[in-house]
Amino acid sequence: MRQPRFRPLLAWLCLLLWLAAAGPAAAQTLLIRGALSAPGHLSSFPDPSSAVPVTLPDEWVHTRPGSDAAAWYRIEFPRLAPPESDDLMALYIEHVCSNLEVYLNGNFVHSGGRMSRPLTNNCNQPQLVPLPSALLRVEGNTIDIRVAGHPLSEVGSRQRAGGLSALQIGPQQELAARHARRTALQVWVPQAVSATLLLMGGFMFVLGFINRRESHLAYFGALSVGWAIVDARLWLRNIPLGHSGVEFLLCAMLGFITWAAVQFLLRYGGVRLRKVDVLLPVQCALLAVSLVLAGPQRLHALASVWYLVLALEVVAASAWHVHHQRKSRAVWLMGGLLSAVTLAGAIEFFAQWTGARPLVSHIALLVVPVIFVLVGLRLVQQHGRALHHAEQGKAQLEQRVREATAEIERNFRQLSELKVEQVTERERKRIAADLHDDLGAKLLTIVHTSDSERISTLAREALEEMRLSVRGLTGRPVRLTDALGDWRAEVVSRLAQAGIEGDWEGPEDLPQTLSARAYVQTTRILREATSNIIKHSGATHCSVVASINDNDFQFVLQDNGEGITVELDGKMDRGHGLASMKNRAKQLQGQCLVESGPGYGTVIRLTVPLDRALQPS
Amino acid sequence: MKTILLLEDLPEIRAWMRKLVLQVFPGATISESARVQDAIELCGAVKFDLALLDLGLPDGSGVDVVTKLRDVQPDAQSVVVTIHDDDEHLFPALQAGAFGYILKEQPRELITEQLQRISQGEPPLSPSIARRVMAHFSAKAKPQPQSHLMPNVSLTDRESEVLLRVAKGYTLPEIGVQLGLSRHTIADYVKQIYRKLNVSSRAEAALEAQRLGLFR
Repeated sequence: MRQPRFRPLLAWLCLLLWLAAAGPAAAQTLLIRGALSAPGHLSSFPDPSSAVPVTLPDEWVHTRPGSDAAAWYRIEFPRLAPPESDDLMALYIEHVCSNLEVYLNGNFVHSGGRMSRPLTNNCNQPQLVPLPSALLRVEGNTIDIRVAGHPLSEVGSRQRAGGLSALQIGPQQELAARHARRTALQVWVPQAVSATLLLMGGFMFVLGFINRRESHLAYFGALSVGWAIVDARLWLRNIPLGHSGVEFLLCAMLGFITWAAVQFLLRYGGVRLRKVDVLLPVQCALLAVSLVLAGPQRLHALASVWYLVLALEVVAASAWHVHHQRKSRAVWLMGGLLSAVTLAGAIEFFAQWTGARPLVSHIALLVVPVIFVLVGLRLVQQHGRALHHAEQGKAQLEQRVREATAEIERNFRQLSELKVEQVTERERKRIAADLHDDLGAKLLTIVHTSDSERISTLAREALEEMRLSVRGLTGRPVRLTDALGDWRAEVVSRLAQAGIEGDWEGPEDLPQTLSARAYVQTTRILREATSNIIKHSGATHCSVVASINDNDFQFVLQDNGEGITVELDGKMDRGHGLASMKNRAKQLQGQCLVESGPGYGTVIRLTVPLDRALQPS
Repeated sequence: MKTILLLEDLPEIRAWMRKLVLQVFPGATISESARVQDAIELCGAVKFDLALLDLGLPDGSGVDVVTKLRDVQPDAQSVVVTIHDDDEHLFPALQAGAFGYILKEQPRELITEQLQRISQGEPPLSPSIARRVMAHFSAKAKPQPQSHLMPNVSLTDRESEVLLRVAKGYTLPEIGVQLGLSRHTIADYVKQIYRKLNVSSRAEAALEAQRLGLFR
């Protein structure tokens, strides 16, 4: 995880080292460390007698404190290349501030831009001046350089104070390569980094602004954008604001950057301090007001103090952040990056203090925005991961809601089914009670008050029928074992009452259940069959065999009575229920067969398929 | 000389029953009632030997009379006379203390015989009632919080055996033959079963009442 994060950093370092690795000056190049200097308000280099020798690099803060805004420099050099060589010669100036004009042997050969205020800012732009061969003499060449700049007191950084570095003269080809490397390091890379920071910062600012809970993103975005703007000083040459305006803005921007940086470190650490929320903007205002009050002349002195204050604030916030996050695994990453930023800041301070501008200070200037980019990537990664987690959580929540909804619906359905069942059950009971109370009572009255035995019997049978129907109505399935018990008890006791010897054979302990309808219909058939035996057969013995197969159960009722004659058969079918027995068996998808012959008794075979009988219909 | 309570709302049936009872118990004193409330009042006033009680009456259930009689006259025999042959109607009456039941629509001879048997201590027991009794006691056999209000009423092995056989559809005489017992012994078992059902149900009801009381 950590390795890929460092890979871009390594790539950047390699690039910077390549850019910085200026080879040693070749033998043909001439390093010039001294010049004649004269005040620069004149239109051309004055009489050499009025000039003074200076060593290069010449920093005005030492050699011309509080003096004019311009100076002349004159150097003399011999023709370097042999006459037969037609190599183009060039002058390379690593650092000149703010702007320059170059004259070769009195001929104007190079201008860096505006020489009057507002000056073109070339402080960070290495200058390469081709020296036309036609203008070069064999001996005693003179180069006059007019430099225009600002005194240190008027600029916020020592690097933008007037001055001229050492000069190199040599083959254009070789110096051009050196110039290109230096330009890349000081101009192109900052440009690219600025653009990146600007884009990323803007993106992060919007992200943090929309997402108030991630306000650290907004502050980081502000920090990045602010830094990108400040970095523009490195490559932007003409700013239409005037010198003091630009310097004021740059200093003031540092206040904003500090505000954003400190708030970012606090918020990223998960802390929000009301006091800091108020103090930082106040400090910004204070900084701006103090700069205005001090005026452009004392800008450098005041800015130096402010730099120190602001830098200490950021260092303190960084230390707090690292301390606060010490338990997090990622503290090493942030800690390392913050240390690098602090180191870069220290180098910059050192450069400001001494006025020297070694290569490392240029690199340090670049390290800070590069680290910003890395931190930005890290934040985006964290944000993305949090987003991913949030979405996962949301998906899980949705899933749970869906499940809960399904559960509720299921429960509701069950509840309503239960309700329907309850209502149905209640209604059945009511109908059953009504039948008993009303129809039952009337039938009962007929049973016991009729003079005709036949009507009594019919009414009794009707009453039994009614009761069975009511039982069918209540519709509860019956265990086959229980049903067999009921049937056995009824058949055997009725036969016994009629003085017929009954003999029952049947299975016990069956796991199957029977629908109420099948139970009721089978009861009716058995009852009818028993009645027939009692009334018509004249038998003395009757055997009942109940058996169960895979698909059906079967009753065989065999008596030793007279059997059914042909005439009686017809009669029975009409009046004694054989037809209704057969019908009922048919309704259950079974069959009821009657085998009989005069003198042989009667065999009734009742078959009811189990799968039909088992289904509650 | 017997004193008999007759609870029946249909006048024709009541008259018919009265005639039948007088045939079985000649010279008996019969108190008739068509309403549960009247019957309960009679229970407090007259000493009965036998009560023939219908279940579905216009102002309530005959079960209430069974309960009342069991409370005030423990020696009186309650017999349910009904057209309901299903255990759902009969079982509560048996739990309340009824000693047997008679189905009204049966032929006169059969009812006469059953009435005689009951008065001689031979109550009927159908397979479905036997199953309900078995279920009642097996549910009680599960571990339950015991209470002093809950006497440990349980069936003997013989009683259980008789119940099981009745449930399978064997008639009481058949069971007597199978177990090598006399008709009277079997009848005694059945009587014991009815008695235990009543005692156990009453204890249960008392416990339930206490539980509800505690919650109040």
